[in-house]
Amino acid sequence: MSSYSKEVIADLVAGTLPWPQTRRVMSAYKDDDRFFKYVAVLQDRVEWKDPILLPVSDHLFICQSGDERVTKCECGHSFGDYRKNWKLKAHIIVRDTEESLREIYPNSDLPDPEWMEIREFICPECGTLHEVEAAAPGYPIVHDFEPDLEGFYRDWLKKPLGGE
Amino acid sequence: MDQLTVTQPIVIGIDAGGTMTDTILVDSNGHFKIGKSATTPMDEAEGFLASAEDAADAWGISLESLFSGVGVVLYSGTGMLNTLLSRTGRKLGLITTKGLEDMILMGRGLQAWADYSYADRLHAVTHAHPDPLVPRRRTHGVTERVDQFGDIILPLYEHEVHAAAKKLIADKVDAICIMTVFSHVNPTHEKRIAEICREEIRAAGADMLVYTSHEVRPVIREQSRLNSVLIEAYATSRGRKQLKGIEDVSKKYGFKYGVQTLLSFGGLTSIDHPRLHETMISGPIGGILGAAYVGKLIGNDSLICSDMGGTSFDMGVITRGQTRIENEPLMDRFKLNVPTLHLDTIGAGAGMILKVDPLTKKVSLGPESAGSDPGPICFAKGGTEPTIADCDAILGRLNPDYFLGGKVKLQVEKARKAFKEKCADVLGVGLEEAAEGMIDMLEADANNALRRVISSQGIHPSEFTLLSYGGSGPLHLAGCSRGIGFNDIITFQFAAAFSAFGCTTADFMRRHSVSTQIDIGSRANDGELEGFGERVTAVWNDLTKAAVDEMIADGHAREKIKTIPFLMMRYTGQLEDVEVMAPLSEIRSVEDMRKVLAEFEAVYAKVNHRVSRYGEAGYSITELGLIATADKVKPVLVKRPLGKPDPSSAHKGVREAYIGGRWHKANLYEMDLLQPGHEVIGPAIIEHPATTLVVHPKDRVTVDEWTLLHYSHA
Repeated sequence: MSSYSKEVIADLVAGTLPWPQTRRVMSAYKDDDRFFKYVAVLQDRVEWKDPILLPVSDHLFICQSGDERVTKCECGHSFGDYRKNWKLKAHIIVRDTEESLREIYPNSDLPDPEWMEIREFICPECGTLHEVEAAAPGYPIVHDFEPDLEGFYRDWLKKPLGGE
Repeated sequence: MDQLTVTQPIVIGIDAGGTMTDTILVDSNGHFKIGKSATTPMDEAEGFLASAEDAADAWGISLESLFSGVGVVLYSGTGMLNTLLSRTGRKLGLITTKGLEDMILMGRGLQAWADYSYADRLHAVTHAHPDPLVPRRRTHGVTERVDQFGDIILPLYEHEVHAAAKKLIADKVDAICIMTVFSHVNPTHEKRIAEICREEIRAAGADMLVYTSHEVRPVIREQSRLNSVLIEAYATSRGRKQLKGIEDVSKKYGFKYGVQTLLSFGGLTSIDHPRLHETMISGPIGGILGAAYVGKLIGNDSLICSDMGGTSFDMGVITRGQTRIENEPLMDRFKLNVPTLHLDTIGAGAGMILKVDPLTKKVSLGPESAGSDPGPICFAKGGTEPTIADCDAILGRLNPDYFLGGKVKLQVEKARKAFKEKCADVLGVGLEEAAEGMIDMLEADANNALRRVISSQGIHPSEFTLLSYGGSGPLHLAGCSRGIGFNDIITFQFAAAFSAFGCTTADFMRRHSVSTQIDIGSRANDGELEGFGERVTAVWNDLTKAAVDEMIADGHAREKIKTIPFLMMRYTGQLEDVEVMAPLSEIRSVEDMRKVLAEFEAVYAKVNHRVSRYGEAGYSITELGLIATADKVKPVLVKRPLGKPDPSSAHKGVREAYIGGRWHKANLYEMDLLQPGHEVIGPAIIEHPATTLVVHPKDRVTVDEWTLLHYSHA
């Protein structure tokens, strides 16, 4: 069906594709080979060679690192096995006071720090902010999701993962 | 044929559409010839000339003798629309009432999805406002306020205007636009702001234009008024340049007069027209004018005109002689304040790209069109997506060796291969079956759209005559019109240039109007009625002077100018107006005023239904206007006696064509050779260099004394 060049996908990922073209992509049927082109674009962007298996957020990826599958920052910092919550190994800023919340909401109402705190997860090596979560004070750090990599590759992409 | 080449054309009508530029040449006897060429948006003069040359060739004369002999060149183009679409217009600044500075950014909600397909209208993530024509930082609010009665509530703070003007001058804008609230009722503040801006511009020694909304269009609804003034300031300079380019090449080939262009409400004007944005939506308007003209010939004043080209299917309605005026049309998703002949449009045309979703097997037509470049696959100009035109070629309905008179050789094999791979195989059906299915879907869409348009008129379809034209109108006519029960279905030898033909039937025209708030109670007494009459007449007199002065400036003699005042009226409390042509030129007595009200009721009953009249509610006059016209030479269709029904003199062979699920041996006829009285029975294909009429098995086409082609279903 529809298919776009890698350059178009690269512009789309970078947010530099002009709006009329972006909208045409949005309105068309999904392109079959999008995932692999998307991953190839990301792979070009990172400096390391480990193959990306699944993007987790803008600068965070699950990749094949030797025999292991690890969560890795764009800078190359590894957060360890992808089945473990990578957030536990990140630097965390907790905003649980009016003063610290005011830093990010200078002009508007604030959440009540007694009821909610904001946690920012940062790469210990390059300082990239990977994730932000809002939770009640005392609530454990949220494990966002543990992807079924094999199932995803086998059943959805029709390209089973090698190895395991 | 030879008789046509003896005379000299006197009118050239050219209509540049999104894909093709069509030309029609008309001589004083009403003979015509048409030409076609691809539109060239960068320099429209190229496409203009190529199209004119094509028509001149058909007539058998040179471009020089064509242009030196004609009296009128009409051109309706896309220059301004392209300026707007590509955002390559002037750098603007805006001064507006304080508090309304964000009006440009917020726009109207519907501007975020106007022109979208139904699926995308629901798919809210695709909604986006059009890029503003003026950035927020070049928009300045000044303190002032006029209320809806025109009373000044807050005086104009002139020091703020000075400051704003200075900033815009420092920003080096090309033009300053001014729009304040209720300036259509009382323009004092806008005028004063303009004065101050001009003072500041002079003082700074700068060269800038100043536009005020009350001059461009003194009509209620500030968002549309704002868009009108902005687009006038933004897009018209390049548009005028394109038109000037057309005039220059015409003169180079010996044309002696000024080029004319078409107004969106159906008149002609010189290219120096002061409000050039009124010519922006002119392309499809020609068709309605042409339809009105043909309607007079055939004696039916209820007509549906349908224009199918490469991208869209436009439908216009004339109900018992009345055309509908749309007061706030959309232009590149900006709501404008320009009266426009009303058209309904759906995306359906021969250039539509066909897609089949491999998972769900859902077929979708368009909305993208292959346009003229790269065009359908069969053009072999680099197109890779199958289109409806490819299906027409695959099914033998288009003649591969006679497209545009043989100028484009259709590569049927190439189209077959791509269509099989991308559509037929995905659907798992035979090639021809899939191709015919695609065409059926397109025709069903158009058929439904026609039914919808008719049912909204509240009049039975059997009162209407369908006029079908446009490059691919006749090709899909049978399917589009089947089962609706029209009184008559007509197409033309010059179908491909019908809009251009329509333009040539127009008169020179000006339309001036102003918003009013005149509410006339149902029990108004004689004294009150007389008072209303005086108010109306005073406005009409002002408008007459303005319109006539403009036309005299365009070079028309005063005694040639006819003026007709009109009113936009509704029953008090309604939301929509009807346009009422005044039965008299001024209102001098109670009886005159009663005549005007009676005329409104008559028009209302025609457009809606007589039982829907509701005088008890009272009457509101929301707009008063004036149309000034001056005559020009028009084509005349020639009436010739009916001959024998046997069309064998036009017969040119037999071709295999796939219609209704199987291949037929279809007779081929040359459209231009059909004579009054001829009768063609399907399966047949009537060909013309610029269009093709497919006659389905057992259907019939008869040629009448005007050489119009009447299609009747079996």
